[in-house]
Amino acid sequence: MAYYLVPVKFRNYFLIAVSAFFYIYAGPVYFLLLAGLILSNYLIGLKLDLSVEEKARKGYLVLGISINLGTLIFFKYWNFLGANLVKLLSVFHLGFNFPYSDILLPLGLSYYIFQFIGYLVDIYWKHEKAERDFPRFSLFILFFPKILVGPIERAGNLLPQLAKNIYFENDNIVEGGKRIAWGLFKKLVVADRIAMYQTAVMSTLDQQSGITILFATLLYSFQVYADFSGYTDIAIGVARLFGYNLIENFKRPFLAKNMGDFWRRWHISLSSWVNDYVFTPIAFKKRSWGILGVFYSLTLSFLIIGFWHGSTWNYLLFGLLQAVALMYEYATRKFRKKLARSVPTVIYNNLSILIMFLYVSFCLIIFRTDSFSSAGSIIKAIYTHPGGLFYDTPSTLFFILIGCMIMMLYDIQKESKIFRFNLFSNKNWIVQQVSYALLLIYIMLAGVFDGGQFIYLAF
Amino acid sequence: MDTTIKSKKKPTFLVKLIIFIFLLIVLDFGIGNLLKYLYFKQDSGSLYRTTYALDSTRADILIFGSSTANHHYIPDLFEKAFHLPCYNTGRDGNTLLYSYAILKGVFKRYSPKIIILDINEQEFITNQDSYDRVTSLLPYYENHPEVRDIVKLKSPFENIKLLSKIYPYNSLIFTICVGNADFNKERITIKDQNGYVPLQNTWKGPVTTDTVFKKYPLDSTKINIFESFVKECIQRNIYLYICLSPKFKVEKYVDSSIEIVKHISKEFNVPFFNYSTDTFFLHHGDLFHDVNHLNGNGANIYSELVIRKILQKQ
Repeated sequence: MAYYLVPVKFRNYFLIAVSAFFYIYAGPVYFLLLAGLILSNYLIGLKLDLSVEEKARKGYLVLGISINLGTLIFFKYWNFLGANLVKLLSVFHLGFNFPYSDILLPLGLSYYIFQFIGYLVDIYWKHEKAERDFPRFSLFILFFPKILVGPIERAGNLLPQLAKNIYFENDNIVEGGKRIAWGLFKKLVVADRIAMYQTAVMSTLDQQSGITILFATLLYSFQVYADFSGYTDIAIGVARLFGYNLIENFKRPFLAKNMGDFWRRWHISLSSWVNDYVFTPIAFKKRSWGILGVFYSLTLSFLIIGFWHGSTWNYLLFGLLQAVALMYEYATRKFRKKLARSVPTVIYNNLSILIMFLYVSFCLIIFRTDSFSSAGSIIKAIYTHPGGLFYDTPSTLFFILIGCMIMMLYDIQKESKIFRFNLFSNKNWIVQQVSYALLLIYIMLAGVFDGGQFIYLAF
Repeated sequence: MDTTIKSKKKPTFLVKLIIFIFLLIVLDFGIGNLLKYLYFKQDSGSLYRTTYALDSTRADILIFGSSTANHHYIPDLFEKAFHLPCYNTGRDGNTLLYSYAILKGVFKRYSPKIIILDINEQEFITNQDSYDRVTSLLPYYENHPEVRDIVKLKSPFENIKLLSKIYPYNSLIFTICVGNADFNKERITIKDQNGYVPLQNTWKGPVTTDTVFKKYPLDSTKINIFESFVKECIQRNIYLYICLSPKFKVEKYVDSSIEIVKHISKEFNVPFFNYSTDTFFLHHGDLFHDVNHLNGNGANIYSELVIRKILQKQ
């Protein structure tokens, strides 16, 4: 409400102040780092835009990318690189004291670094003009709803919106509110509920049966999806309350029929960023290599996606597994087209969705663990540990399954309109209101608000 | 003939918003009160045992604590030995905060003669989880002023959250339904013997050494609550016995909380029985359900040991 009480021309300043407060609250030093990056990228963007000579333009681009990547490497990958360098040198009996850093990762660093780089590359490619208005450019980066989990915004989407005057519109409040409600449902009812089960199972892996670990592994996929897309829904919803449309980050990923399809639906802002700024340029450059050029670009792109998530080898392997699946799909595309024609569509599609889900769940075992050995022990335990399914009390299972079911039914309905009667987007406003009121009530009934809900471990 | 069609006037945004908020309040009030009715209508199960401990029990011997209290002390054996009624108020996953709130509720009605408080290692550790666990007391917040101070320790926003009638019953809907179902009374796992619930498993693993370093940040609020628990029992001339249950593991380090318990019990001259290092139990994995909990047979032996020790002290 305070936002709409501020005079229109000062609303962006108000948002800058709120966003800055958010960062300062998280750590004043990190805000200084971000402020420095905003200023340097703003100036480099201007120089890049105003320069005519290709050499100078390239120089500014390289400078900008170096500053951004250097910051990212220093804060996120320094210790990883150091530890591996030490390990490598120890093979040759060369030991030295690497200056490890104990600095915490600044809030949202990976997101805004990619946003900066995208902005500079867009200017270099002349897809976008540099933003002249410094406060507007600052808000493009700082805008607080997207700071924790993105989406990684593009200059072409957000900057033009920030240039407009925003007036109070009922629609923004209603649609933003709806989106927040769904985000809360996914986060509190689905993700946090499954997280309790995950913690209980994974902290006692040795004592759990294979079927329990398999169940937990499959649930983890729903947890990651509900958690990440739930947060994103809240971010998009909050932005909408202020009158801004952030780009979509998820489009029903568990209904994807192949890996390519999956990455067009999962963390879209990251996958499209890598597609636009890494895959396409490299694939174009290596087009003379034929299929090897595609494979090369895919591998590099997905290693970046994997590594973006964190500084361990597991994330690299996770990325590599995605690339392998995509290469397989690319190599077998003709055969699969033939196969699809010979099998009834319903069976082929549903089987594809199931295989995709299982493959993603398998990859997430690698994603979730911090070492190859712990990933291996999870996979081994699935096959070797006897016993039944652990679920504490029946209500644990009920809450998890009902939450997942509602989330998936909502996605299926959006994808294929299987039900004629639509509750949440019904044309009748009363039906809509009752549906959303019941959704909020269900969140109150089944949401996990703190550590008050727990799974009692006694085997 | 008038052919104009009167268009239905759509309600404004503000009217819709008011209707939506009204709808939410009505649903929250209705469902919350229904859950409240069903919650207090239960006459078996874990939730009922809390209600019984707070509202009904008049047992002269009361056992307090978490899961180790609930699964280790058999009231029937205490009743036989002391010729006094006994009730086990222990509840899985709860801590001293819960025990103290129940004690306050009991003291509002009467004073028992003997109290056994089973404590755990890391009882006074600083963590939010143990405060969050007092969620189990939320249904009693409205009608039991004596538990409010403990519930308020959970978070400064608890008062606001409790404006919702549903919130106290969050995550309980299935448990409440099961608690009201007839078949529930037949279920062995829920069936209790004066609050005590036996565990069935037999632990097959070897004795392990717990190498977790036991020096951790201590929570002064919890220590104060423990001290109040002891003081209030002494003021009412209740025989208080503090126990630490057997575990199927060897502790490498001395636990800071246990050191404080020893100190306070010595200061107030309250007997403290430490069975966590008892070699008899360390040689009998068959008496355990898991490394932290005794099974039914183990509880039998342990209860007899505690009874003998109390009789010696008296």
